[in-house]
Amino acid sequence: MLRVLLVTDTDKPIGDLREQLARMGYDMLAEVAAPSALHKAVESQKPDVVIIDTESPSRDTLEQLAVMNKAAPRPVLMFSNDADQQFIRAAVGAGVTAYSVEGLAPARLAPIIDVALARFAHEAQLRQRLAKVEDELEQRKVIDRAKRLLMDKRGMSEHDAYAALRKRAMDQGVKVAEIARQLLALSDLF
Amino acid sequence: MNSPDTTSPAPERTHLRLGFVALSDAAPLAVAALRELGARHGIKIELCRQPSWAAVRDKLLSGEIDAAHALYGLVYGVQLGIGGPRADMAVLMVLNRNGQAITLSRPLADAIEHGASVKDALASLGRRPVIAQTFPTGTHAMWLYYWLAAHGVHPLRDVQSVVIPPPRMADALVEGALDGFCAGEPWHAVAEARNAGKTVAYTSEIWPDHPEKVLACRRDFAALYPATARALVRTMLDACAWLDSSDHRKEIAQALASAELLGVPRALIEPRLVATDGGDARALPVRFFDGGAVNYPRVSDGLWFITQYRRWGMLDADIDDAAVAASVNQTALYRDAARASGIALPEERRAATLCDRRVWDGGDAAGYLAGFEIRA
Repeated sequence: MLRVLLVTDTDKPIGDLREQLARMGYDMLAEVAAPSALHKAVESQKPDVVIIDTESPSRDTLEQLAVMNKAAPRPVLMFSNDADQQFIRAAVGAGVTAYSVEGLAPARLAPIIDVALARFAHEAQLRQRLAKVEDELEQRKVIDRAKRLLMDKRGMSEHDAYAALRKRAMDQGVKVAEIARQLLALSDLF
Repeated sequence: MNSPDTTSPAPERTHLRLGFVALSDAAPLAVAALRELGARHGIKIELCRQPSWAAVRDKLLSGEIDAAHALYGLVYGVQLGIGGPRADMAVLMVLNRNGQAITLSRPLADAIEHGASVKDALASLGRRPVIAQTFPTGTHAMWLYYWLAAHGVHPLRDVQSVVIPPPRMADALVEGALDGFCAGEPWHAVAEARNAGKTVAYTSEIWPDHPEKVLACRRDFAALYPATARALVRTMLDACAWLDSSDHRKEIAQALASAELLGVPRALIEPRLVATDGGDARALPVRFFDGGAVNYPRVSDGLWFITQYRRWGMLDADIDDAAVAASVNQTALYRDAARASGIALPEERRAATLCDRRVWDGGDAAGYLAGFEIRA
């Protein structure tokens, strides 16, 4: 489980970002609001990801830790020359910056940044992205439960259970998650 | 002086957003914007105050700001990708020399004043002293490390080096969270006014007339908009020249005190900015122009920062350091702009004796680096 630290030392409202991330299954560390506490929090709590207001005066504290301590999170939104310039502009413009430990796959970081961007930016387009992330996460949960049902009740392997759901979805021309939902609804009846 | 210049190529971009951090040595940007010095060169300057050096970097890279008042070392840190993103950067000119300091808590400063060595004073704490600076690859980090090492203190082993926002440094000294800091002004004046600490060294004692803040932009900005970059350099040269008068410095101290710029009382900004009155005899004044001697982006100045990154284990890449410095520092552009403004070009080679009595002239970087006893 990724350990996420939120730094809230500016007056920018972040709404329910913390609860949102907790619901998505991240291990939310105690928030840091005072610049002087940030150094200690990173050294002792060892977050995998730090989410911070782009305009926070505490960002240089994180930069120092990134250079001095190989295990500390590093600035990631522009972690390489190939980084998508548009995405960088959107993130900086929206006012959120992320730092993450070295070696963390971008795909694992993306949902956190998406949610944080939406919360920081309050923009319709970013809200849609948030809805999409939440929807995908919900779909994955439904599919997992349906697979588990088939494995328990029919003695199928995980692979076969998913293949059965997928075949039914293709036959009916709907999403796998929809078939999973139907199956779970039916199983609730019996 | 205020008539428009019709002999130069028209700038491709006429409205420029310039980032700065709340420091007294942001004065040239304040002068350029408030006195509208860009008008003569066909540009308008909008000042954008930044809360951190990381924000300066990110906004330069994202294009939200076009150029910035930046720590010399920050530009090189980004060029080399130390601890963060890597991008091709440009130093257009040097904005000032000197004007930074090291402040220690009162007990430590008193002990040194009464004859204790820096090493003994720090050791008397019985724990690792915590000393702050402003950015890991920045000038203040490098001045602090160099000064400590020259006094026989290993800056990475004997000291805990942290970064906190400069406006928080005086408070942190009072609270005992810090034992000292190296930063720009007016934060040392603020710490002394609050009786939180005392200035024990001026950075001009570490390296007389050291390079400090530069006018920085992305390399592609300078390449895509050469006439704009030239107009910007000429505008900033006018601003730096204006600051050579102490009356003008007093005038700008008043402007810098405003909430939009520094938000620190004029009485704390002025003495260390004007330096002709109230300045400490040990310190060389902050210099912004000096007939143009300040501003040439001498390649050896940039190369010095790379020697220090290697010294402290922040860089081990097998690259041609001198070639990197020559590509970052836009000497040709500067020469062209200075010539157009009738400003003298200083000698390419400049030798300085630093506080450890070692001489740096950029000639033998490998030998200079090899000669340090205290290193990572």
